[in-house]
Amino acid sequence: MGTRREFSPQALLVLAALQEQPADWQHGYALASTTGLKSGTLYPILIRLADRGLVEACWQEEPAPGRPRRHLYRLTAEGAASAARALAAAPARQRAERPAAAAGTRRPLRPGAAAPTAQ
Amino acid sequence: MSWLGRALARRLPASYRDWAEALWAEADEVPAGWERLAWRAGGVRLIARQARIGRAAGGLLLLAAAAWAAWPASAVPLSHGAVDEGDVIITIALLAGVPLLFRRLLGPPASRTARRLRAVFYCAIVVIMPAKSVAEQFVGATPRGGINLHTFDLITQSSPAAGSASGGPDWGGEIMVLLITLGYLAVVTALTAGRARLAPGTLATGAWAGLVLGLVMYAADPLGGDKYATNPWLRGSASDPLVILAWVALLGAPAAAGALVARRHVPGDPATAPTAQAWQGLAAGLVAGGTGALTAAVLGTSTTALVIRSAVVRGWLFHGAHLTASAVYGRELYASMDVTFYGAICVLFPVIGLAMGITGAAATVPVPRAATVPVPRAEGGPPADLPAP
Repeated sequence: MGTRREFSPQALLVLAALQEQPADWQHGYALASTTGLKSGTLYPILIRLADRGLVEACWQEEPAPGRPRRHLYRLTAEGAASAARALAAAPARQRAERPAAAAGTRRPLRPGAAAPTAQ
Repeated sequence: MSWLGRALARRLPASYRDWAEALWAEADEVPAGWERLAWRAGGVRLIARQARIGRAAGGLLLLAAAAWAAWPASAVPLSHGAVDEGDVIITIALLAGVPLLFRRLLGPPASRTARRLRAVFYCAIVVIMPAKSVAEQFVGATPRGGINLHTFDLITQSSPAAGSASGGPDWGGEIMVLLITLGYLAVVTALTAGRARLAPGTLATGAWAGLVLGLVMYAADPLGGDKYATNPWLRGSASDPLVILAWVALLGAPAAAGALVARRHVPGDPATAPTAQAWQGLAAGLVAGGTGALTAAVLGTSTTALVIRSAVVRGWLFHGAHLTASAVYGRELYASMDVTFYGAICVLFPVIGLAMGITGAAATVPVPRAATVPVPRAEGGPPADLPAP
């Protein structure tokens, strides 16, 4: 049988969204808006990527008043390399879909708004 | 839903609890209304999946359905109550215990497709049991048009048949059902286990082909093989093409599945390729036959059970016919007594599917040419078909 793909099309969308600003921490809702994925699809992907060491996660240190702390995500160095490889190898059709998906309501976090803490 | 999510999250392993909390905290950022509800619903799905709540719930549901299937359904005590009580124990043991035993013996499912197919087959067997039970027992307790099953037995049979309302237990039938059920559980567990070395596509193709076969069979005979029971479901010219289509599906669906998977399967070792491709084709045919039989049996026995209880289903089946209550009851009786038809197709269809699957695969897989063995020359020189040095 054929070889198994390294990332699903949905995982590629998440990697692409994270790779656009690899140094910034992003939260789940922003990623969902960017990729168009539902929470039930997005979070299992983030869990798998984190388990593989491609994504690092942390809790927001200073949450907005009256709001719960938020979980933040960004690519690790290995994740960034892996994402670049996978996205370059992705079929052209998927690459064409990415900018369209990325045109969603993207709202990167302000620097300092989310200093990483231990996960 | 927030309360539910947090309660479910406590069941998660520690490593996943953070993720559940993260998803839940994020819900506050999502615009209120349907969007937030959908976000939280995704959270519940994630937690349920990670906590394997679905599997536990499925197990409990299976057990409950088995108990319900086996429990004597009739409010009126039938003469063969001993069989009904035996059904309780046997069915629960079969549907709750045997899958676990077979899983231990034959191994867990090899892929996500295999797991789904295994679950669907187990559930289909669970559905057949209550439908069969209801079809056989409710009819005896539902007198209509001045006749009930006991009267019917007395009128039509001088010595009541085993398994009828006034006859004794039909041990032969009970044992046959037991053996068929055990056979299905064993075969589906074996085919979906890793040792079978079946590609997920093989199982999926076989299952889809079988679904088509089952639906066509059901459309042709919604109340089993007895034409009197279904009359006037489809008359003459409307019925004939459907019956022909059912035969085509019976022979063609497993053959097509076998041919398709044999063509697609690309094994690693070219030397064993024909054998591996034939095995995939055979298995696809077997799955198609089994799925077709189960689909027709589930839909057919359910309709038989419903026709006794539901005026809507009766109106749908006997559309346009001005039947007296006793005439309808007669058809219901024939249908309920004809559920053995489904036992027969549950045995025959997989056998036909197996034969047609391997036929389809054989038609697709090129027959390997016999290896040419170099013949040494008489004078001891190099083999005839090798160039001389």
